[in-house]
Amino acid sequence: MASMSLRFAFVLFWISILSSTVLSDLVISKIDRRIDLTSQIVRVVSSLKVENRGRDTASEVLLAFPDIQAKNLAYLQSSHHEGKGKGKQSAVSLPVTLVQPEGMPSDLTFYSTSLPKGLEKGESFTLDVLAVFTHSLKPFPEEITQADVQLVVYQDSAYYISPYEVRFQTLAVRLPSGRVESYTKYPSTKLVESDIKYGPFENLPPFSYIPIAVHFESSYPFAVVQELERELEISHWGNIQVTEHYSLVHGGAPLKGGFSRIEYQSRPPIRGESSIRHFIAMLPPRAHSVYYRDEIGNISTSHLWSDSKMTYLQIEPRYPMFGGWRTSFTIGYGLPLRDLLYEADGKRFLNITFGCPINEIVIDHLIVKVVLPEGSKEISAAVPFVTKQSQEVKYSHLDIVGRPVIVLEKTNVVPEHNIHFQVYYKFNNLALLMEPFLLISGFFFLFIACIVYMHTDASISKFSASYLAKQQLDEVRATVQQVLSIINRVLAVHNKLETSLRDLSRTGDVQSCKAARKAADGSFKDLAKELKPLLGYLQSSPQASQIWPKVEELLSKEKELQEKLMGKHSAIVDGFEKKSARREVENRVASIDQKLAILRQEADELLDALDDF
Amino acid sequence: MAPKPITSPVPVEWYPSLSVLMLSIGLVLTASFFIYEATSSKRSRSLAKEITIGAVSSFFLGFGSLFLLLATGVYV
Repeated sequence: MASMSLRFAFVLFWISILSSTVLSDLVISKIDRRIDLTSQIVRVVSSLKVENRGRDTASEVLLAFPDIQAKNLAYLQSSHHEGKGKGKQSAVSLPVTLVQPEGMPSDLTFYSTSLPKGLEKGESFTLDVLAVFTHSLKPFPEEITQADVQLVVYQDSAYYISPYEVRFQTLAVRLPSGRVESYTKYPSTKLVESDIKYGPFENLPPFSYIPIAVHFESSYPFAVVQELERELEISHWGNIQVTEHYSLVHGGAPLKGGFSRIEYQSRPPIRGESSIRHFIAMLPPRAHSVYYRDEIGNISTSHLWSDSKMTYLQIEPRYPMFGGWRTSFTIGYGLPLRDLLYEADGKRFLNITFGCPINEIVIDHLIVKVVLPEGSKEISAAVPFVTKQSQEVKYSHLDIVGRPVIVLEKTNVVPEHNIHFQVYYKFNNLALLMEPFLLISGFFFLFIACIVYMHTDASISKFSASYLAKQQLDEVRATVQQVLSIINRVLAVHNKLETSLRDLSRTGDVQSCKAARKAADGSFKDLAKELKPLLGYLQSSPQASQIWPKVEELLSKEKELQEKLMGKHSAIVDGFEKKSARREVENRVASIDQKLAILRQEADELLDALDDF
Repeated sequence: MAPKPITSPVPVEWYPSLSVLMLSIGLVLTASFFIYEATSSKRSRSLAKEITIGAVSSFFLGFGSLFLLLATGVYV
């Protein structure tokens, strides 16, 4: 009876809101709403059973949110479960679009969900809607001291606000604990442990509304990232470098009065319960080269551990974060290329998660920058929700034209956005060689500079005596080097002759030995011809006066050497041809060999001495 | 066509050893270049030989330093 009179009292209320006739003939026959207030993010899960009472086929369902809530709406997903009861598993996601239907109250925001197939007269359809709100829990009192617990207020409507008639509805509000300061009580309102239950309410016309407020204790750290910039730099040499710049604020009730570290550390579970001690970032598996530093490069405490599915990074800011306090830090890590980069149909694509790796965090403004390698073309991004996209160019290590960057921006990001997105681009593997080519040309330029320096003549007075003397000395040196190289070639011919003699004693082939002799004679003549102008120059040059005796000595030694060798050669060949006694030949040769050895040694010493000139 | 994972052209584990190998070859060649520059006189020097040694050693130094960068975590 009491509930009847109450409902009657509210009739006036909804009549005033209802500004025009409701166009659709849809009716919500049953709705269960669950509001989850356990963290700083408010999640409202509604399961609606929609029934078509009209004659026309309905193809969409309108979802209404008050403007106050809609501006904090971060994520809205509508899905349909195939099958019923426990068998329902495969959820089909339905498209949701922002619409502005005519003749509806102006302070409501409408979203339209398209149904997979038209809803005929008398049919019903079950829909699951997940709406995620940020910044919806208001701290009250607005400021607290270190010893206080944090109390927050949540406001909503006990009735489901809908442009359709609602036949039967229930609402459950889940709180982090049973400690509730106050809550709006209506008949049939129950507090069971940490759940507040409203309803059931029956047969409510469109746009019914009664306010509720829940004032409860929440020690959940309200970590809010005001701006997060994630930079994903792809290197085809085998790495994806992720760098994340956080500028973070504790969005809970601001701290009133001073902060006492003694109190904080002596009774940590009680004092400063809502403060943030550390964050845990869940990085992809096989993340390596992980670092954490704050804005000016201080390295603070961090711990890293991993299993096959995740790499966990626990980071501690330099001070515990209380309400209203800020910090900013940077974390970075490398990921192996093969886990995230794929090729299909001639295009390459990066497949990586969008949001930040820290759990239950709200990001006001997220910027994701994907830095592609130099030479990438036809860049496009596929993100499953609306983002602001733009392109820019970044200059990094060993770049010539800069790397193309695709920038994705989104406001109001919640963990639900932490899903994979793709960036497609075309890349030729030859462009990989740009970086080594740059390094090689750098080094080559250095060598060329050395060569040019050694080849240029930088002296100013080209006719001074000392300059000319130096020039001549250089020339003498070069000539001596040439002479030495010719002498070395002559000595090489000597060696050849000796080898032919050895071959003769082994095989007895006189003809080949004679041929070798002939060839040697020819080359001796050629070399002597080459030597002549050089010697002429050395003899005439005044700069060569010091070196000339030595060269002369070397030449005479060489001549003697040549004569003796020829003598030896003739003796052995003669001995072979006349078949004279072996011993006789050997005796003659032995004395020549001795002299040859001495001459060779002398020639070598002279060569060494001249080489140092 | 199923997406195929992309890997680096050279296995990442090889970078340190490749860098040591190529840098040592490059440095030996550089040394020989400078020895040649210092010992040969202006007239006996051959430009082709200088450029050849320079080119080969800069190839090895270039790739060696690239692999050194990659091995130390500077992914270019």
